[in-house]
Amino acid sequence: MRRLDRPRRTAALLAAAALALAGCTDGGDSTGLPADEGAGPASGGDGVRLGILGECEGPFGGFHEDVVGGTSLAMVNHAGAQVESATSALDGFTGAEVAGTPIELVGIGCGDDTADRILEEVRRLVEQLGANVIIGPLSGDEGIAVAEYAAEHPDLTVLSGISGSQEQTLQVQAPNYFRFFGDGAMWNAGLGDILHNQEGWDSVAVIADDYSFGHTSAAGFIAEFCGVGGQVDTRVFPPLGTTDYSPYIAQLPGPDEVDGYFWAVGGTGTQAALEAFVNAKGDLTGDQHAGNLFFNPDLAQALGTDIAGAYVGGFATLPGDVTTPAIEEYLASADETWESLPGGVSGNEPAPPSTAAAFGFFYGYYSAGVALIEGLEAVEGDVSDPTALHAALSDLTLDLPYGQVSLDENRSGIVDVGLSQLVVDDDGEIVQEAVAIIPQVDQSFGGAFGPDTPSPSRDFPPCEERDVPWEGEAIPVVDGVPQR
Amino acid sequence: MIATRRRLPALCAAAVAVAAAVWVLFLATDTPAGTAVEHPGAFAVTVLDAVTFAGLLFVAASGFTLIFGLMRTVNMAHGSLFLLAAYVAIGVQQAMVGKTRNIDAAEVGIADWLVPMLVGAAAAAVVGTVIQQAFLQWNEGQELRQALITLAITVVLADQMLREFGGLAQRMVWPGAVTHFITIFGQRYATTRLFMLGVAVVIGVLLWLWLDRTRLGMIVRAGVDDRQMVRGLGINIRLVFAVVFFAGAFLAGVGGVLGASFAGAAPGTDGAWLLNALVVVIIGGLGSLKGAAAGSLLYGTVVAFSPVYLPSQYSFYAIILTFGLLALVLAVRPYGLYGRPA
Amino acid sequence: MRTGSTVNRRTAALLPLVAFLAALPSMAPAFFINFVMTQTLMLGLAAATIVFLAKYGGMVSLAQFLLFGVAGFMYGNAALEAGSRGLNLGWHPWAAVASALAVTTAAAFALGALASRTTGLYYLMLTLVYAVIGYFVFAQITEISGPSGITSIERPELLAAPVSLYYTALGLSVLAYIGFRALGRTAFGLALQGVRDDPVRMASLGFNVPLHRTLAFALGGFVAGLGGLVNVWWNGQIDPASIGIGPTLILLIIAVIGGVSHFEGAWLGAFVYVLMFTYLRDLPLIDRIGITEARFNTVIGAIVLLIMVLSPQGLAGIADRLRRRLPRPRRPGAERPAKTTGRLTRAELIDE
Repeated sequence: MRRLDRPRRTAALLAAAALALAGCTDGGDSTGLPADEGAGPASGGDGVRLGILGECEGPFGGFHEDVVGGTSLAMVNHAGAQVESATSALDGFTGAEVAGTPIELVGIGCGDDTADRILEEVRRLVEQLGANVIIGPLSGDEGIAVAEYAAEHPDLTVLSGISGSQEQTLQVQAPNYFRFFGDGAMWNAGLGDILHNQEGWDSVAVIADDYSFGHTSAAGFIAEFCGVGGQVDTRVFPPLGTTDYSPYIAQLPGPDEVDGYFWAVGGTGTQAALEAFVNAKGDLTGDQHAGNLFFNPDLAQALGTDIAGAYVGGFATLPGDVTTPAIEEYLASADETWESLPGGVSGNEPAPPSTAAAFGFFYGYYSAGVALIEGLEAVEGDVSDPTALHAALSDLTLDLPYGQVSLDENRSGIVDVGLSQLVVDDDGEIVQEAVAIIPQVDQSFGGAFGPDTPSPSRDFPPCEERDVPWEGEAIPVVDGVPQR
Repeated sequence: MIATRRRLPALCAAAVAVAAAVWVLFLATDTPAGTAVEHPGAFAVTVLDAVTFAGLLFVAASGFTLIFGLMRTVNMAHGSLFLLAAYVAIGVQQAMVGKTRNIDAAEVGIADWLVPMLVGAAAAAVVGTVIQQAFLQWNEGQELRQALITLAITVVLADQMLREFGGLAQRMVWPGAVTHFITIFGQRYATTRLFMLGVAVVIGVLLWLWLDRTRLGMIVRAGVDDRQMVRGLGINIRLVFAVVFFAGAFLAGVGGVLGASFAGAAPGTDGAWLLNALVVVIIGGLGSLKGAAAGSLLYGTVVAFSPVYLPSQYSFYAIILTFGLLALVLAVRPYGLYGRPA
Repeated sequence: MRTGSTVNRRTAALLPLVAFLAALPSMAPAFFINFVMTQTLMLGLAAATIVFLAKYGGMVSLAQFLLFGVAGFMYGNAALEAGSRGLNLGWHPWAAVASALAVTTAAAFALGALASRTTGLYYLMLTLVYAVIGYFVFAQITEISGPSGITSIERPELLAAPVSLYYTALGLSVLAYIGFRALGRTAFGLALQGVRDDPVRMASLGFNVPLHRTLAFALGGFVAGLGGLVNVWWNGQIDPASIGIGPTLILLIIAVIGGVSHFEGAWLGAFVYVLMFTYLRDLPLIDRIGITEARFNTVIGAIVLLIMVLSPQGLAGIADRLRRRLPRPRRPGAERPAKTTGRLTRAELIDE
C-alpha cells in the first residue's frame, strides 16, 4: 500500500497544478500570452498573401488541379503571372502583380469535402502561412464553415471558390466573404419556368441526394416550379452512399401518374438511380426527365442515348456549344497557359486545359481570382485597409467570359444561368446543347429564400405559388448563339 | 434458469420477426408500398430486390469470410480489392467494346462482360496475394496487427486509385443478352438483377463443391478447425494459405465487377463495400460460408424492406434499421448466427 | 504486474513535462499552441480511451470517435439558442456540458452493453459498424443534426481566450492519464484485466464479465466525450462527416502510431500525426520526391504500415524496446508479447 502513496501524491499534485493552470485563464478575452495574439491574418503588410483552398480528397478529390488552375489562369490573364509548370497547376504561379502590389501564393489547402478538414486547412493557411486573402472552398458545407471563420476574422478576405450552399452568404452574411457565382439552387433557375410553361408539366416527382447539396438543388427547382404554378407530388431523398436504389425508386409515382421527374442524384448514384428507374418503371424518355448539373455527360459517363431531350440545370459556365468571342478568348488563354492539365472532367488524364476551363469548378475559382484582381485595382493596390478592399469588392461588377456578375447585399453573385438539353450528336454521343440563358438570377427566388427562412431540407421549401422574377425572361439560345 | 435466460433473447428475436411479418402483411397501410395483402406486386418486387441484392452481398462477403475462416486474418483491404477489380474490368470492357462512354447494353456481348470480370478479379487476386506474401504470412496469428496492416494498405491503395483512375463515377455495363424485363404481378422487373443472383448462386455452389468435395477443400476445412494438426500431417500450410488468400481476393474482385455493373464504381465504393462485408459477417458469423449466406439474406431484406415498409414520414430513417438488425442478432448470438468465438 | 517503482518513476517523469507544456504558450508561436498542441491534446485524449479499453479490457474500439462526436452534437443542440438546425434548447453552457457528458456516457453504456459479450476482432468490427451507423443517425435525423451538422457553436465565456482551450485540453489530458493509470490498480481495474486475460475463469469466480466490459466502455465514452467537448469548442461546428469513417480510422491510426498498450502513446501518436499533417508538406524538396499534399494519405498509410511492420506496439513500443536493450537486470515478465487482446496472447502461445 505504501508504495502507492507517493505516485498518488504526485498525481494529486499534478492534477491540482493542471487545474490551477486552467483556472488562470478565468474570464477575460485575453491572457496576454502570445498564443492569444495574432490568431488572425497579418493585417497591413505590402502585398497579397494568397491561399487557395483546393480539394484533393473525397468525392471531389479529382478536381484539385481544376480549382488551382482556375485561380492561376486569372493571375496569368490579368495580373501578369507565369505558371511554374506547363502540365500541372499545382506548382502554382509567380510574378502576379496588380497596381504595384504583388500577389504571392503562400499555400494550397487540401480539403476532403468536410467542414472540419477545411477549417484545419484555412487555419493553416491563415494562421501559419500568413495568408490574408483566401480563394475557396469548393463544396457547400465547407463554404458555411469558411464563411463563419471569415466572420470571426474580419481582416481576412475570402472569395468563395465554387461552394454551392445558400447559407454561406444568405445567413452567415460575413462582410468579408464574397461569392462571385450562384448557389446550388440558382443553378436550376429557369427549369421550372420552361418545364411548366413551355413543356406543359403540371406535376413532378423530385428525387435528390439526402444531403445539403441535394436539398439545395431540389429546393431551387421546387421553389420555381411551384412558384410558376406547378405541383410537386413526391419528394424522395435516398441517403448518400445508397447502393441499391430500387427501394427508393419504388417510392416514386409511375410515369403515367406524373408529368415528369427531377433528378439531383450525384456520384455513382446518377447512373444507378436511373438504371433502377428503368428496371422498375420503364424506359427513360427525354421528355419526362430533367436533372440538375449531375446530368452532365462529362460527370455521368454512361447516361445513355435514351434520355436525349432531358433538360439539365446550369453550373457556373454555359454548355460547350455556346461560343462568344469572350468565351473563345478565355478558353484559348487556358490552352496557351498550359500544355495540358490532368483535370477532373478528363478523369485526371492529361487533357487540353480548355476542357477543364469550360467546367464550373475551374471557372468558379477563375471568377474569384478575377474579382480579387479587380478589387485590388479599385483600391489601387492598397491592402493596408481591408475594409476598403471589402467595400471595393462589394461594388464590383465583373464582365466575365460566361456573363456579367454583380453582388447582392449579402455579397452573393447575381448571375446568368445557362440551361441545356441532352442531345445525340452526329457521332451518336450524348452531349449538352444550350437552350436558354436565364439572366440576372439571385438567391431569393422572389422571396422563397431569405435570411430568416430555414435552410433547404427534405420539406423546405413548401410547394407555393409566388412571383418568380425571371419567369418568361429566359433568353433562348439557338445553335449556340444567345438571342439577346 | 440458465436455459430460460438463454432462450429469452431468442424468443424476443422471434417475436420481432413475427411482428415485422404481421406489419408488412396486414398493417403497413400508410407506407410507400402498402400492405402485402393489398399490394402483392410491391411485396413481390421487394422480396426479389432483397434476394438479388443479397446475392451481391454474398459474393462480396464470401471472400472476406473465407480468408478469415482459415487464417484468422481480417482483411481490411477487401474493399480496396473490390474497387480495384471494378476499375480494371471497366477499363478492359471499354477496350473490348471500343468505346469509353455511352456503352449500350446491346453492344456488350457475354464475352465483353465475362472476360473483363475474369481479368479484373485476377488483378485483385494477384494484388491480394502480394499483400499476403509481403505483409501477412510472417506475422500469422497476430490478428490485430494484421487488421491494422491491411487497414494501412487500404489507405494507400485508395489514394493511389484516386490518382490512377480519377474521381468520377465509372460504370460496367451488363451484357445485352441478360438485359431484359419481365412482369411480376403487374410490376416490371429487370433480369439483370436475376442474373446477378444467378452468378452469386453459381459462386456459392462452386465454393461449396470446392470446400466439400476436393482434397484441397478438405485441407482448408481441417485447417479451419486445427491448423497445428494439418501442419503436423506434413501439409504445406503456407501454400494452402496463399491459395485461399488468392481465392478470397479473387472473390472480392468478382464482387467488385458485379457491384460496378450494378451500382458503379467511384472513390468511396471501397469503404462502403468493406462495410457491407463486415455487416454481413457480423450477422452471419465470421469464417462461416453458411453464415455469409444467411447474413446476406437478412441484411438484404432489411435494406430492401425498410425504405418501403416504414411509415412514409419515417422512411428517411430506414438506414438506421440496419442497426436494429445488428442489435437483435448480437443480443441472441454475440458471435453471429453461425460464428464461434475466435 | 508492474512494480510500484516503475509507476513512480513514470509519474514523476511527467511532472517536468507538464510544467514545460504549461509554460509553452509564453514561448511558442500562437499557431503552434492553438492549432498543433490543442489538437494534439484533444486527439490524444480521445485516443487514450482506445488505449484504455485495449490495454485493460482487451477491447479495441473504433467507436471512440463516435462518442467524441456525440458529446459535441449534444453540446451544440443544448447550448445554441437559435440556429438553422438542431434542437436549439438554449441552455446555460455548463448545463449543456453536463447534459452532453451524461448523454455520451449513457450512449456508451448502451453500446458497450450490446457489445459486451464479444471480444477481439469481433469487437473491432462491431465498433466500426457502430461508428458508421452513428454517422447515419446524425445525418438522417434532422432534428438533432442533419447532413450539414450544427454550426456557430460558441464556447462558454470562461474559455473565451484561445489559449484557455489549450490549458483545458492539457488539464483534462493530465487528469485522464493519471486517472487511467491509477484505475489499473483499483479493484475494478484489476478485475477488468482479469476479464481480459481469462473471461471464463473470471466468470466462474463470480465476476460479471459483460458488466465489467460495459462499465469500462462507458468510462471510455465519458472521457472521449470530454475530448469531444474541447473539439467542438475548438472547431465551432460539428457535422456527421466529423465522425465519419475517415476521422474514425485516423483516431485508430493515432493510437496505433503511438502504441495501443501505452497511455503515453496516445498523445505521442496524436503529436506525430498532427505534426505530419501540418508540417510535412511544407518541408523543402518533399514534393520533388512525388509527395505532394494531394498524396498525403499515401504517406500516412505508408508510415502506419511501416510502424506496424516494425512494431505492433507503435512508437512507444519501439522506444520501450530500445530502452530494454540497455543493460539492465531483466525482470520476469518484462517480455510482453502483443497484449492488446487477451485472446490474441493465447492464440500466439498456441500457434508458435
